[in-house]
Amino acid sequence: MRFKNIVFLLLAASLIVMLAACSDDDETDAGGSEEALDNLNEEGMPIVDEEIELEIFAGKAATTADDWNDVLLLNEYEEMTNMNITWNQVAADGLDEKRNLALASGDLPDAFYAANIPVSDIQKYGDQGTFIPLNDLIEEYAPNISKVLDENPDIRKGLTFPDGNIYSVPTVYSPDFESLLIGAKGWVNGDWLEQLDMDNPETTEEFYEYLKAVKETDLNGSGENDEIPLSSVAEMSRIIHWISGAFGVQNKGQLHTLIDEDPDSGDIRFFPIHEQYKEMLEYLNRLYDEGLIEESIYSLEVDQHLANAADNLYGAVQFYNPIELYGEEVGSQFIPGNALEGPDGTKMYTGITSPLRSLGNFLITSENENPEATLRWIDYFWSDEGSKMFFMGIEGVTYEETEDGPELKDEITDNPDGLTLTQALAEYIINPGGNHPVMVTDDYFTGSENAPTDIEAVEEIEPYLIDEIWPAFTYTAEENDDISVLETDLDKYVSEMQAAFITGEKDFSEWDDYVEQVESMGLDDYMEIQQAAFERYKEN
Amino acid sequence: MKNFSLSDKAFDVINTIFLLIILVLVVYPLIFVLSASISDPAAVSSGKMWLWPVDITFKGYERVFADNAIWRGYGNTIIYTAVGTAIHLFVLLPCAYALSRKELMFKKGILWFILFTMLFNGGLIPTYLVVKSLGMLDTMWAIVIPNVVGAWSILVARAFFQQSIPDQLVEASKIDGASDFYIFIRVVLPLSLPIVAVMALFHAVNLWNQYFNALIYLSDRDKFPLQLILREILVVNQMQLNDPGAGVAESLVDQVKTAGLIKYAVIIVSSLPLLLVYPFIQKYFVQGVLIGSIKE
Amino acid sequence: MKTAKADVKLPTHKRIEAVKKNLQRNWQIYIFLLPAVIYFIVMHYVPMYGVQIAFKDFIATKGIWGSPWKGFDHFIRFFDSYYFWRLLKNTIILSGYQLILFPLPIILALSLHEVKNGWFKKWAQTLTYAPHFISVVVVVGMIVIFLDPTTGLVNRLIVAFGGDPIPFLTSPKWFRHVFTWSGVWQTLGWGSIIYLAALSGVNPELHEAAKVDGASRIQRILHINIPSILPTIVVLFILNIGSFMTVGFEKVLLMQNDLNVSTSDVIQTFVYQTGLLEGQYSFAAAIGLFDSVINITLLVMFNYLARKATDSSLW
Repeated sequence: MRFKNIVFLLLAASLIVMLAACSDDDETDAGGSEEALDNLNEEGMPIVDEEIELEIFAGKAATTADDWNDVLLLNEYEEMTNMNITWNQVAADGLDEKRNLALASGDLPDAFYAANIPVSDIQKYGDQGTFIPLNDLIEEYAPNISKVLDENPDIRKGLTFPDGNIYSVPTVYSPDFESLLIGAKGWVNGDWLEQLDMDNPETTEEFYEYLKAVKETDLNGSGENDEIPLSSVAEMSRIIHWISGAFGVQNKGQLHTLIDEDPDSGDIRFFPIHEQYKEMLEYLNRLYDEGLIEESIYSLEVDQHLANAADNLYGAVQFYNPIELYGEEVGSQFIPGNALEGPDGTKMYTGITSPLRSLGNFLITSENENPEATLRWIDYFWSDEGSKMFFMGIEGVTYEETEDGPELKDEITDNPDGLTLTQALAEYIINPGGNHPVMVTDDYFTGSENAPTDIEAVEEIEPYLIDEIWPAFTYTAEENDDISVLETDLDKYVSEMQAAFITGEKDFSEWDDYVEQVESMGLDDYMEIQQAAFERYKEN
Repeated sequence: MKNFSLSDKAFDVINTIFLLIILVLVVYPLIFVLSASISDPAAVSSGKMWLWPVDITFKGYERVFADNAIWRGYGNTIIYTAVGTAIHLFVLLPCAYALSRKELMFKKGILWFILFTMLFNGGLIPTYLVVKSLGMLDTMWAIVIPNVVGAWSILVARAFFQQSIPDQLVEASKIDGASDFYIFIRVVLPLSLPIVAVMALFHAVNLWNQYFNALIYLSDRDKFPLQLILREILVVNQMQLNDPGAGVAESLVDQVKTAGLIKYAVIIVSSLPLLLVYPFIQKYFVQGVLIGSIKE
Repeated sequence: MKTAKADVKLPTHKRIEAVKKNLQRNWQIYIFLLPAVIYFIVMHYVPMYGVQIAFKDFIATKGIWGSPWKGFDHFIRFFDSYYFWRLLKNTIILSGYQLILFPLPIILALSLHEVKNGWFKKWAQTLTYAPHFISVVVVVGMIVIFLDPTTGLVNRLIVAFGGDPIPFLTSPKWFRHVFTWSGVWQTLGWGSIIYLAALSGVNPELHEAAKVDGASRIQRILHINIPSILPTIVVLFILNIGSFMTVGFEKVLLMQNDLNVSTSDVIQTFVYQTGLLEGQYSFAAAIGLFDSVINITLLVMFNYLARKATDSSLW
């Protein structure tokens, strides 16, 4: 009896602990208190008179410093603004888990920075009041962000949810900075083209011929046929970015992996069940089947790819700047690949993202008592001055002003301790790497997309770039519930089957079954929601 | 008699060969990693190195030992493992022993109470909320408390006590006037060193290699255990690859170069302590055998 | 056990009397239970209230109690899903495969136990345990290295013997074998510890007596060693069954890619993906609950069978 009582008591005690923990009631209040507003300076620095503390949940790229509190830029900025930030840094690995737990358990920071919150979660938690709407705050306290939104109505459109709210400060790639919008590009081994006496392939068929020739010839002089005609990293999607335009699919940019525009009717279509998409898979299947695509591509790790590149095995790659990645000796063999012309004469380049790169990288939560100051904190980095500081660091420390604009100092670009550019910068700024809620322009950007060969590559592709690039669509709360379910299933199935068709695991005789299966997975409902979202996007 | 000893010899030979084959299969990949850790990374990834080191270099180890994060992770892991294992034994052994005693009432109920937790749990979010409400977030306790003991261990330890501790022994001590506390500590535990060693080792290895709790509950990098640091080094950042932030290219090279260089060294360095500790604990197994032969 | 049964027949007041007496005499062993009981209540039973989100539409700001009820919607969605049968099939096959290999550590333990050379025995034990000390992340990294279609050692051997390289990591056909056998590699030695410990408790007099009777080594293994450790075997087997539907999701996740997903997609990874990564907590909880229910059913069933057949069981 006594024993049972003990158990009971314990059970009761722990329940009370638990209930106490759960009944933490927090009042939500969108704007800051009057006290906070009194403390705020609407213009200039410091942002606040009395020092304030903020806790920010931040997605940390592996390339940045271990502790952001030691980074010069942020320390300087803290002095300037009078805002002391406690960085709760989370590595990319585990970011989704930690972010979801924080959101679900109500254990909220003041803001989320570079945390990659998906559009559907912005909608969901915005609707629930976890994230506060920023429309008015941006209008009033963020002149630099407002300016970008005014100049680029498309970005404002893409940022606004159907309820009329803007919840986030996005990551924007300057619309002029095409090299960055394209990202990784196609490259062909120019030395080998010469050896083979071939021209840089212009069509998918020529490309096939070239890859085939690479496969059959000992071009690197190793004495064996170890050449790998085509490679990339992170599965097949990059290669598809290169060639999908030749087949006319995914023709509204790479942010939409399932829908694009039907060229005949102008309506949206679910392209993965379209005949052109099938042709593309057949083409890729032919390449894969004949050993023209690196066989292990679906499990290839970056280090293996780089090791193979160092052995000079590759005939063509779809990846970042080869000189930067593979070094001068191997990398300089590569020349920019062309936008390819498909079997039916289609020629365009679709592997490009919307300037509205991602939405969920700066959100202010209902816990935040100083939303105005917080917004001003990020807004500064959208100004020309702030942007320079963000990407280049501090004048005299990391860069010098020259006639051609600011240039990184030699200690950074050619570090005496043998550090690479990224490593040398890590002490001073929190870029490169990471999805920062700022506008990236080619003026101050130090990444490889600004390298001369990359710019050259863009010139080749440029005439064939698609004109209109869709940003991610936004949905109403109701649509959001349905589409997140439908899209998860469809996306999973389509990408699995794509791999199966390309590798020959599934035969093309089963194509009709595949289409039927897709249609039975709620395709009509899915398209109905997308149609509505599309129409809203068009109208705005 | 002679026939039997002949067949016994044949058995010994076959048994030894069998074990040797298993040993080769088990050990080869380990030798590979060991050799790779002191070979030129390029030779390893191109497949030139397949058994013995090629182009010996200790750069990987130099980098590992120069890395503060690894040392800190190391220290944390040792503390978490030691504290966690101590708590584990403190919770596990008395409980398993009590469950092995026939005087215990409601045994079936208690067993079910424990067993049920193995099959059924409230899921991550509620557990997270409990950890949070107990104030354990971002502390060592979040690593050592949530999985202090599993139903599995209790059942195994209980089975051991049932089989190895003769009732007569306990009853005789009781007649001599010894309390249950005294019997447990002075009579039962000394007879049970094999299971103590096995259980401690099982749990210590789990603690040493676990990272999921750390991933979920810790955010202060200074508190990260070794495995989390290891994971950051070893798992090339897929997210960055799929959704590259601006300027990711050079960073990839950096990351990969570092990873390639220290990958194998870090595997060796992180696994070595447990491998070295084991032979010392193994002694207790031998002792266990001795005790087993005296008893009865 | 006998006293407990005697209790049942007693009238109520006498039973209470007996309980009181027992507590007075043996209170200390109840104290022994206390740390574990507290732990299980706080860390396991308290969070169980969270199971209700499987029947609710979890909304973070409203908390677990305040979220609206949804009935069986999430379950229906799961059962209707294209992936339901595949997940079920993959989980069962992968678990079944591992279960079939359950005797391997026992064989190793029996074999090691027979080694007389102490030095060899000690080294053999230490070395076979070694892989267990390596974490899952590393093991998967090693699998990738060894099985790479072009540079991996295994495929080099296959090619050297005139075969075609096998895409072990990207083939749905091979996933189960690679997963299971790499698991065997890692846990074989470690899994044998418990049996070795049990074997060390076998009464040597039994062996002496059998020797006098002229029993051979194999006979003694079959008739003395195995029966002696049978209770341990049965308990471990039932425990394995109890986690039948729980496949180590971390390793599966690490080994999963678009190509092998048709066989590598299991319930656990699906729960992780939908729950933690996509934040569909209620849906994930419903799937997890379904999984638990199957585990419980299997456990109860096999425990019953074991008790009937071998007399040893968990309860």
